[in-house]
Amino acid sequence: MTHEIKTIAVGFDGSLPAEAAVRWAFTLARPLEAEVVLVHAVGLLGHLEGEDVTSEFHDAVARLAHECNFDIGHVSWQIEDGNSTSVLMRASGQPVHADLIVVGSRGKSAHAGLMLGSTSLQLAERSTIPVMIVPYDR
Amino acid sequence: MLIVNAPVDDGGHEEHGHPERPARLAAAMAGVADLHLGDDLLVVDARPATRPELIRVHEATYLDELGVFCYEGGGDIDQDTYATYDSWAIAQRAAGAGLAVIDELRDRGDGVGFVAVRPPGHHALRDRAMGFCLLNNVAVAASSLTAIGERVMIVDWDVHHGNGTQAIFWNDPDVLYVSTHQWPLFPGSGGAREIGGLGALGATLNVPLPAGTTGDVVRQAFEELALPTIERFDPTWVLISAGFDAHADDPMADLALSGGDFAWLARSVGACAPGPGRVAVFLEGGYDLRALQHSVSSSLAALMDVDFDAEAPTSGGAGANEVRHAQSERRVAMRMADQDI
Repeated sequence: MTHEIKTIAVGFDGSLPAEAAVRWAFTLARPLEAEVVLVHAVGLLGHLEGEDVTSEFHDAVARLAHECNFDIGHVSWQIEDGNSTSVLMRASGQPVHADLIVVGSRGKSAHAGLMLGSTSLQLAERSTIPVMIVPYDR
Repeated sequence: MLIVNAPVDDGGHEEHGHPERPARLAAAMAGVADLHLGDDLLVVDARPATRPELIRVHEATYLDELGVFCYEGGGDIDQDTYATYDSWAIAQRAAGAGLAVIDELRDRGDGVGFVAVRPPGHHALRDRAMGFCLLNNVAVAASSLTAIGERVMIVDWDVHHGNGTQAIFWNDPDVLYVSTHQWPLFPGSGGAREIGGLGALGATLNVPLPAGTTGDVVRQAFEELALPTIERFDPTWVLISAGFDAHADDPMADLALSGGDFAWLARSVGACAPGPGRVAVFLEGGYDLRALQHSVSSSLAALMDVDFDAEAPTSGGAGANEVRHAQSERRVAMRMADQDI
């Protein structure tokens, strides 16, 4: 049984671990001719930041696409209210229909359950589609 | 009689520029002072919640991790939530404050409780801090009551859905969780089809409301949707997760309620208690200090039936269709659940 990867969802919050995840997603998507959807979870504080909460990330994403020789035309955004785990969990359904989720991990942490890294742990445990965890090594 | 916990020294739980800040608690207490209650105000000591009391709603490993994380200096837990060296002790006292207030209410068999604490609690999950919340204060209190055989209703009128409280009591038939909240908005949960787990079908009731919703719609939601469920549940205690960020002036969201709307809600929710001494209000959100102070006064005055010049109730905004839709969605979910059993 084969599984075609047409859409890759990547959790993106502008952090360095998230950038590492986007690099992997772009690198993987290019030979597969897959679409990449950058999934951004809007937290409580996001409401204070105005309408387009991802505008500050556009330059970084363009730079990453250039580095990975990936066509930015195959990149889109999915912005949803919620915590990052629940928003990424929903990426397997409408409207993203992701076949793979890619997330960055902060790597070694004495408190992996508390820190952002727990998003990757929870996804690995609960996701109904494959999850790729990209460790970020400072 | 208003029974309030003694102020928890919360100054150590602060991050520069963060809206969940000590000034919120000062504003809430100013709201109490504005009622000029005199001898009708009783302040009780807030003790730290014990580990057995916390373990009823939180996983032991989470409590250990949070404690050590704070002991080592704390930091950002997620994009919204922080902890400091002092946060563990402050959060323990915040959770314990609710228990102390409820103990006093039980001893007296009279009065209204106000648990004025921060950080807030209703987003905190069994195993995770989120949405400014570290420990789920209202859940710790509710579980202390169900442990002695009480049937507890939690009404959550914070503008954000209390995903943590809902999840903690998802399968508990002794806790009815009722929430009105803006949707879509953080944390993304709280759909009308979320009705509780197999062990407690119907014991979760969500009314998601659009931006611009006014008080008349919230009143409609309470009377048409919530009240029949509440009457069937027949609570022996009523706890209110009272966030005041649904006020029109609050910067964190876009509902359009007033002090008068919170007063109506408080009066109506309080009337669901079977007798005196069985209502406690827990401070959750609310980030505009003036609106917070006024809304605390308005709500507590309504619960205690004392005079206070609250803002006028609001009407004419959005949301009536969404309430009808929520009612229909809930019916569908209940029917589907019945077929699955």
